Amino acid sequence: MGQIRHEAMNRHGGFDVVCACDTHANFDADIPLVTDPTRVYDYDPDVVFCCVPNRMIPDVVCDALERGKHVFSEKPPGRNSDDVRRMQAVEARHPDLVLKFGFNHRFHDAIEDAKRMLDAGTMGDLYFMRGVYGKAGGANYAQNWRNDPSQSGGGILIDQGIHMLDLFLMFADHFSDVQSVVQRKFWTDVPVEDNAFALMKNDAGVVASLHSSATQWQHKFTLELYARGGFISVNGILSASGTYGTEVLNVALNRLDQDGNPIPNPESQEVRYTEDHSWDKEIAEFHAAIAEGQPVRCGTSQQALDVMTLVERIYAADADWPGQIAATATAG
Amino acid sequence: MQTPVFIDDLPDISTVASRKSDHYRQTRNRALAEMLLDDAVSWHERACPACGQSRDLSRNFSQALMPFQRCSACNTIYAARVPDQSHLDGQRLRLLDELPPETADKPKRPREFEYISILNWIRLTEARSGHSLGKVLDYRFSSQAPSWPDAVTRLGTHRDWSFLPLAADGETGFDDLRDRLQAETPDAVLLYGEMDRVADPAALLRVVRANLPRGSLVFIATSCADGLEYEILGADSPSFVPLDRLNIFSVEGFSQMVRELGYTALEVSTPGRLDAVILQHYFTEIENADVPFWSGFFRSANKDRLRDLQILLQRSLRSGVMRFVLET
Repeated sequence: MGQIRHEAMNRHGGFDVVCACDTHANFDADIPLVTDPTRVYDYDPDVVFCCVPNRMIPDVVCDALERGKHVFSEKPPGRNSDDVRRMQAVEARHPDLVLKFGFNHRFHDAIEDAKRMLDAGTMGDLYFMRGVYGKAGGANYAQNWRNDPSQSGGGILIDQGIHMLDLFLMFADHFSDVQSVVQRKFWTDVPVEDNAFALMKNDAGVVASLHSSATQWQHKFTLELYARGGFISVNGILSASGTYGTEVLNVALNRLDQDGNPIPNPESQEVRYTEDHSWDKEIAEFHAAIAEGQPVRCGTSQQALDVMTLVERIYAADADWPGQIAATATAG
Repeated sequence: MQTPVFIDDLPDISTVASRKSDHYRQTRNRALAEMLLDDAVSWHERACPACGQSRDLSRNFSQALMPFQRCSACNTIYAARVPDQSHLDGQRLRLLDELPPETADKPKRPREFEYISILNWIRLTEARSGHSLGKVLDYRFSSQAPSWPDAVTRLGTHRDWSFLPLAADGETGFDDLRDRLQAETPDAVLLYGEMDRVADPAALLRVVRANLPRGSLVFIATSCADGLEYEILGADSPSFVPLDRLNIFSVEGFSQMVRELGYTALEVSTPGRLDAVILQHYFTEIENADVPFWSGFFRSANKDRLRDLQILLQRSLRSGVMRFVLET
């Protein structure tokens, strides 16, 4: 992720990357490399990009803020909501600094267009949302830090499903009711979920259903938004891996019969997006926040807290889930 | 620039409304022949109306009634000589008068599907682009489709529409448009099926741009020379009615023309729905020609296959009708 951010900074301009920190320093780079995180401050940066495992994020972010650095941190923002609150407390002591989290999906062209059309009122009131985001768990699944709850805080839901939850919150603001089923089906000896299903409702009655999966053998991103006047769906999402397909937005306005009832399968417009501008837009917003004092719209610490709280509520809503984890611990 | 694709279930061939009847074609051809024989009509030769390439460098498209060329640079199909606009408009008015009125035994709202498609197109573009389109001026589509204004009244939402029907006045033929644009300053103009029919399409777009505030939108629907129907059938295409198709732009050619006129193209699409059904109709009912691959394909294709092909054409900007959204 650090390299992706570095490339985006180079494309944007206005950033002078003075140092990089990684677990090893034997890759090609045209900048100084260190392995000790505290050494980066020898170069007196104005900004720190935090691209580390979830467990380390709060420490790195709080330390950077306390040293007077603007911070861009990858998601998830730590392992739980307490991690976010800890970062928020430090952020509050440094109101002149920018803290932004990389909830990158809000910046995808298809998502922005969907938001624009809903906000314009063209589609009418939002009724429900359906989101499926999944991948095949991948090589070294059991050994990956992402599937070690002490490092990550959870499994596929907190790692990937959190993006869909963040989008749900963008469209529906807050969910008052949360139900869930959290499961392990394939990696039964790994103490994190490989599937999470959630059904949520906000106070206005907007319902959202999520399926976050590590057993989605055919990678998939689908977000459907059904409103009174029609629907919007986003299928596929442009990603660094390129495995979720082209980003395609379909939008349709209902046609009504003579009695005012919608006719099935209305004509839809399909817009295909082939270039991923999300990284550049995300960096541009961060730069504008620092250089021009513009507000951060996406990836605020409050949004981070909201989505981490929702993740926790989904885990907690399945009464059987803690028992499954406990069984793993006993067996181990 | 976005390239939306329009997807829906193809209508049955029996419902293909835009296929021109023999009577319609013959009436148009008779009118064109009358103009060709009329000494009072002045004709002028022209290069490609889209990219300006010389006629000498273009290929012959048709010699029936009058010469049509296919531009070898941008693929636009065009009449090599055209009459002045005032004569064209006068002839169109006479032909419109000859059209039989909508009768009770015809479907009550025969073009409703098309009308809703236009209105939805404008609504979605408005939402996507962030433009507020409170006032829209329709230029001449109300003459081609008399039930259009009524449909707009019934179906249009939160938008003031005005209609400027076809009228034969002024030397350029666009004086009425200039005056109306200056008087009303609409947020958008709809040119639906008009670019095909005018003698100087660039002149029409110049009038629009010169008399609209910057940032206004122009919605244009016109025939597309890149469509599979024209590529396979050429001048045999049932959609090719010379008097109605003085200009059949390609996507590339039209894009170049509007760019040179100072417009920004916000959207390009080829939402034509009928290439596949027209071609199947041609190969199964009209003509027993043996075109490699295609004749066999269309004779054996079922409705699902035709729909798949049509969507592929739309996704490839290769269907027979195109839409542009331009910003002044």
